[in-house]
Amino acid sequence: MTRRPARKIAAYAGVAAVALLAGLALGRPEPVAAAAPLAVLVVAGLAAARDPQVEVDATVDRDRAIVGDQVTVQVRLRAHTAVDRLELLLAVPPGMEGPAGPARPWAVALRLRAGEERTLPVTLTCRRWGAYLLGGLQLRAHDRLRLLTWEQPLDRRAPLKVFPEPQALRSLVRPFETQAATGSQVSRHRGEGIEFADVRPFLPGDRPRSINWRATARRGVPWVNERHPERTTDVVLFVDSFVDVRGERASTLDLAVGAAASLAGAYLRQRDRVGLVGFGGFVQWLRPGSGQAALYRLLDTLMETQVFATVAWKGIRHLPPRTLPPKALIVALTPLLDERAVAALFDLLARGYDLAIVEVSPMAGAQAAAGGWEPLARRLWALERETLRHRYQRLGAAVVEWTQGVHLQQVLLEVEASRRHARLAPVGGAAR
Amino acid sequence: MTGLVVCRLAAVAVAAVLALAPLAQVHGPLRSALAYLAAAGLLLAAGAVWRLASLLGPALLVLLAGQLVAPLVRGGRVDAATPLAGAGLLLYAELASWAQERRPAVRDEPPVTRARLAVLAASVVGALALGAAVLLAAGLPGGGGLTRLAVGVVAATLTLALVAAVARRTATRPS
Repeated sequence: MTRRPARKIAAYAGVAAVALLAGLALGRPEPVAAAAPLAVLVVAGLAAARDPQVEVDATVDRDRAIVGDQVTVQVRLRAHTAVDRLELLLAVPPGMEGPAGPARPWAVALRLRAGEERTLPVTLTCRRWGAYLLGGLQLRAHDRLRLLTWEQPLDRRAPLKVFPEPQALRSLVRPFETQAATGSQVSRHRGEGIEFADVRPFLPGDRPRSINWRATARRGVPWVNERHPERTTDVVLFVDSFVDVRGERASTLDLAVGAAASLAGAYLRQRDRVGLVGFGGFVQWLRPGSGQAALYRLLDTLMETQVFATVAWKGIRHLPPRTLPPKALIVALTPLLDERAVAALFDLLARGYDLAIVEVSPMAGAQAAAGGWEPLARRLWALERETLRHRYQRLGAAVVEWTQGVHLQQVLLEVEASRRHARLAPVGGAAR
Repeated sequence: MTGLVVCRLAAVAVAAVLALAPLAQVHGPLRSALAYLAAAGLLLAAGAVWRLASLLGPALLVLLAGQLVAPLVRGGRVDAATPLAGAGLLLYAELASWAQERRPAVRDEPPVTRARLAVLAASVVGALALGAAVLLAAGLPGGGGLTRLAVGVVAATLTLALVAAVARRTATRPS
């Protein structure tokens, strides 16, 4: 612990010295009688002061939570010596809310006897998704006469990952292409499956159970049913974290990450494989995987997404080829603000990927500029964005603007509706 | 927050009593001079309580000077009220320090406040007793002016040595 003297020591000792000298010079006892208590208090206090010895430990009751959940940080104290006043301060990071308010540290002053043990539970509410370290403590102890202060920062931090609240999604964006493994997506190909596709004349090798008896009776020769097989698909969630536009309620990155988490959970429940590309200050990706382990891996990676300014990837315009499996559906969640992300999406279209773009609109979050040009500037900006969307649509991508307050499901339905009329761009086609 | 305000107000109230009490004991042109001194002391005391902890020393000096004017002007007998003034000075200084060390964000548990009040009360009682003892010792026969001068010089030297020692010993350091 670092020991620090109180300012009053110098004031008390100084006043006492001056008073003693004055008493000496004037030959009167009054100055001495008035100032002697100050000197005695300093001497007695310093003589009685002892370095405090306190053991402190902090634990968090869980390591994963959902936005809105409450987590408890247990701070355990054990005093080996008596402490007259011990200030304990627990840092509350931005995104968490403590008893004192959002991102305000929680602090208490308590008195400990020698050998006393105390456990202090501090309840924090998770207000924003992200990866946190909880348990940063600051101790400040005082002696009985408040002449000395001992301070010590303690790092007892434990990790906590706060996931966004998953949104209920009934229907998802369906891919144009499916993979070979059996899954829940109805393939556009024909084969063994449940979903009826068409009827055709019987061929040697067809199973008798697939004969369509009504068509056979009508035509006089055996006809069989054709069906769409159920297959898995590879979905890659492309999260653009180059720019984050913060509005009053949420930011574009908050919406994008929340949507990515909801989409990942929904696709994985359908036994699809889901991957992730975090395209921002630094590029990170996860190869598509399936199951609960993939979900946790993906969420863990998502929670570390943040706007990260670096020059390491400043020229990036393309995703490395190995990050994306063939025939994958790419769902891009982007505010379409940074030209690198815009160019990368054009590049994906040019490479023939099945791309759906959810444009997380930054329009509402952008702050109004001063002056009379603001409405005109906003209209021009909106027109530019409309033009950009149109360029993507001409190349076969579905682009839907997602404004705050609209449920993700509604956006996905719009994406699906616009994809019905869209075609894939030819491989190697002009991108811009 | 309420405790902090109460603490500040109590400190200023004690300082006001200390600053204004000597005015009742003097008359004439000295009274107006003492009034200026009292006003300066009160301002310094309020400043030390609210924002500037470094004003605590000057505030104590000015308040102490105000207390000493009347006995010095009157001369003769020792002022028996001096221990009260000493206890008042200590009370003000402790309340001002308490107000400075309190942070609105930190919630004091009741035992901490109770213990602090107990220490404060004991300090004031001790200051009264000590002041009275000093006055009594000054009134004791024995030793002439030279002896007392020697005792005073030794005491002043020890106090200055204490100041130096305290300044060195309490410097910020890891313990």
